[in-house]
Amino acid sequence: MAERNLEQLKKIREAVSQDLLSGRIDLLLGWEKGHFWWESKPLFASEEEDLTRLTWDSFCAVNLSRYLLEELKEHEKVGVLVKGCDSRAFNRLLQDNMVDRERVVLYGLPCPGMLDYELLVNEAGSKILKITEENGQVILETESAEIEIERENVLISKCRDCLYPNPVVYDQLLLELQEKKELPERFKTVEELEFLSPDERFTYWEKELSRCLRCYACRQVCPYCSCRQCFVEQENPRWQGRAYKSSENFLFHLIRAYHGAGRCIECGECERACPVDIPLMELNRKLIKDMNELYGEYEAGLDAENEPPLLTYRPDDPAAFSEK
Amino acid sequence: MSNVNSLLPQAVTIMDITSETPDINTLRVVGSDGLPFDFLPGQCAMLSVPPVGEAIFSITSSPTCRECLEFSIKNVGKVSNYLHSLEPGQKIGIRGPYGNGFPVEAMKGKDLLFIGGGIGLAPLRSLIGYCFDNRIEYGKIDIVYGARSPADLIRKSEVGETWAEQPNTDVHLTVDAEFPDWKGHVGFVPSYVTELAFKPDNKIAVTCGPPIMIKFVLKALEELNFTPEQIITTLEMRMKCGVGKCGRCNLGPVYVCKDGPVFTLAELNQLPGEY
Amino acid sequence: MKKKIAVDKLPSLWASLAEEGPLYLPIQEGPVVNFQPWQDQAQVAMEAVNSVVSPKDIFLPREETYLHYQCKGQELELQEVNYKEKITAFGIHPCDLRAIEMLDRVFMDQDPPDKLYCSRREMTTVVAMSCTNPDPYCFCEVFDVDPLDAPGADVMVHFSDGYLYLEARTEKGRALLDKGKELLEDGSTETQEKQFEQTNFGIDVHDLPENLKNRFNDPAWDQIYKSCIGCGVCTYVCPTCYCFDVEDYGHEAKGERFRCWDSCMFGEFTQMAGGHNPRPGRKERVRQRFMHKLQYYPEAYGEIACVGCGRCLRSCPVNLDIVQVIKALGGEKVEQR
Repeated sequence: MAERNLEQLKKIREAVSQDLLSGRIDLLLGWEKGHFWWESKPLFASEEEDLTRLTWDSFCAVNLSRYLLEELKEHEKVGVLVKGCDSRAFNRLLQDNMVDRERVVLYGLPCPGMLDYELLVNEAGSKILKITEENGQVILETESAEIEIERENVLISKCRDCLYPNPVVYDQLLLELQEKKELPERFKTVEELEFLSPDERFTYWEKELSRCLRCYACRQVCPYCSCRQCFVEQENPRWQGRAYKSSENFLFHLIRAYHGAGRCIECGECERACPVDIPLMELNRKLIKDMNELYGEYEAGLDAENEPPLLTYRPDDPAAFSEK
Repeated sequence: MSNVNSLLPQAVTIMDITSETPDINTLRVVGSDGLPFDFLPGQCAMLSVPPVGEAIFSITSSPTCRECLEFSIKNVGKVSNYLHSLEPGQKIGIRGPYGNGFPVEAMKGKDLLFIGGGIGLAPLRSLIGYCFDNRIEYGKIDIVYGARSPADLIRKSEVGETWAEQPNTDVHLTVDAEFPDWKGHVGFVPSYVTELAFKPDNKIAVTCGPPIMIKFVLKALEELNFTPEQIITTLEMRMKCGVGKCGRCNLGPVYVCKDGPVFTLAELNQLPGEY
Repeated sequence: MKKKIAVDKLPSLWASLAEEGPLYLPIQEGPVVNFQPWQDQAQVAMEAVNSVVSPKDIFLPREETYLHYQCKGQELELQEVNYKEKITAFGIHPCDLRAIEMLDRVFMDQDPPDKLYCSRREMTTVVAMSCTNPDPYCFCEVFDVDPLDAPGADVMVHFSDGYLYLEARTEKGRALLDKGKELLEDGSTETQEKQFEQTNFGIDVHDLPENLKNRFNDPAWDQIYKSCIGCGVCTYVCPTCYCFDVEDYGHEAKGERFRCWDSCMFGEFTQMAGGHNPRPGRKERVRQRFMHKLQYYPEAYGEIACVGCGRCLRSCPVNLDIVQVIKALGGEKVEQR
């Protein structure tokens, strides 16, 4: 139903089909449509006919890189379609020694940003019959009207703040590069929170975290959370049990955020996956801001050779805790 | 509708703790009025040691023993580890009995073959003790029991001497490898069973031990022409409620804590093999 | 007994009902709607499609302490915690009430009855609300749920023309309407006409439990599980999921024991102390979840453990849901092809 660039899909399909047939890859990780035009889900294509279901449109938000952890156990060479954020996720996994670069073929897809169905519905006001995109605009046809919206205004939240739409690592770039955005407001919400008093900040986070179900979706989608056994699963010692007290919710999220300091690639999957809309990226961005201030500007996942700051030691590293 | 919270433990006192092997202890507990509850051989109880937690253990003593409940416990996790560190006189929590128990009525008049490995003797002992205390109800009794080494055999003197001296009873002990002071049989339990070539006529075989041992014992028994209805085993699972509600110990539609842990092989063959 | 109340008078009704004990309503909690105890300034969201987390929370809370313990030397003192408050659960959709009835069979009807659940259930008056605002994810009709009527409710309500119409169905329901009698007027409830069509996913589940009996080892499972990432979102938002964990919270001298939600999607769910795990991988766990919903529960209780509320479709981060699984296991309607 969504009008999309069939040229692009054709190009992608040809490239991966060729590699699947030639044996360059045994499996392709891509997307296929879900129940509705505004949904896609992961596609595991090991045969040519699986590729007939392959899709590429404005609703392919799911990060496929994480599936490499399992699929590389069963397949010798795996191909994966990566958007900008997904490619950084791959670098993250690579730096954590969780994947073997030689066994993965990355197909880079510069990404225009994924659209948010709820925002589209709000703009439309009634049932959307048809959706087309051209020249940075989204055109919605309903029963009574045709509405044109700026694409930028209906992106999912993780794409609104995207700094790297173009893949930073790939074996083949399949589409044309996108223009990078300038985001002077990257740390705006973080700064607003920093401006509050500690008590106010505590109240804010206590309220947001009170909804947490401890479903661990944030952890499961996250590229930096690939520990074989998470700290919450350890029995001896048991760092954290199942209690839903406020202190326990804080414990989980703060420890997880700290484990990701200097390693978070800002893909926003955690926030997207959270069923109760906890603003997790604000927590992650605060740590990115702090890391930048303490250890110099650093963007995780851009370059697999560039080690995260907390894994390196320089004699001139700030050591405020030991300064008088 | 319900006045009793089935998750609520009562307090019992540890009478004594005996060390059976380097990692297996036997706890004897008693309630304020003797046994905290009545039970059938093969049933289990949840032992509570807050704040460490709660875990389910087979009752090792026979219900014919009226002075206390016995639990032979292997040190494998948090709760068992903590139980090993306790002293006599310590109060712990208990609730039960849980599970279906062994079919002691259906077994009457039959010859019995007990096959145990390591800590697997613990639930079997409850049944064996019961059978010896009701000796005339049961036919010939054969007990095959083995462990990794002589030091890992639990209740050696009871098994090797007291039981062997029971009328119409044979005990066959084995260990996995040669050991300097061991004069008995050497070999894995399943192959010992094959070697002893038991006849299936009018016999019920009851087995318990590590999952891998059970697997090979079942194979050995089938090769000796035991039918799946003649073979009984008792399973272990992670359990939390003990009453078939928390959802975790199921095999298909059946809960090991409630509809088990005792199953015949015929019943297990109908269920998903997730155990 | 049939009554009505003008919509703008509802806050007074809430205040009145909340006097006796917690009044659960769908409430806007930041960006999401969930059933929460009403408080004076709460933003009630009756028009929301449904809550993100199902109202099973009212009867099987996320966390419930049932025991306090104290250890002094070798002594152990155990003290039971009982539930005593009256609850009003207002605005429960028919799909969710059907799901609660499925939990009733496990916790109330199956021996031994669960005291904690029973007390809450007995002390709650359930006010079910006709659902006239489904979204594309709702498919309760596949499971023979009537979105306009919940047979098990104490009171059945629906909105119409600026009024909320209430019909008491049981003693408890009549007692509730009696409590609010100062605020309620007499009103007849005209029969509601369904004014919407639910999404047709093209599935038919009537023969599914029987067909799945011998499909534990079906190769379909090898594909179905792959996109699952093993989080617990589906189990936590699902109204028919009821697995729970039991844990202690405290230190050696004193503390409490509670039960809380648990998920079969987690590896530790069946992890045994000795190291063995009967469901070691995601395939086993995904299979367990769907076999339980579509075969094991129906075999024990005669009903598929899904009510078509659509929450797993809305909340799964990778868009894996029960409709897809039903289709992959042969639940697709034949004429649809």
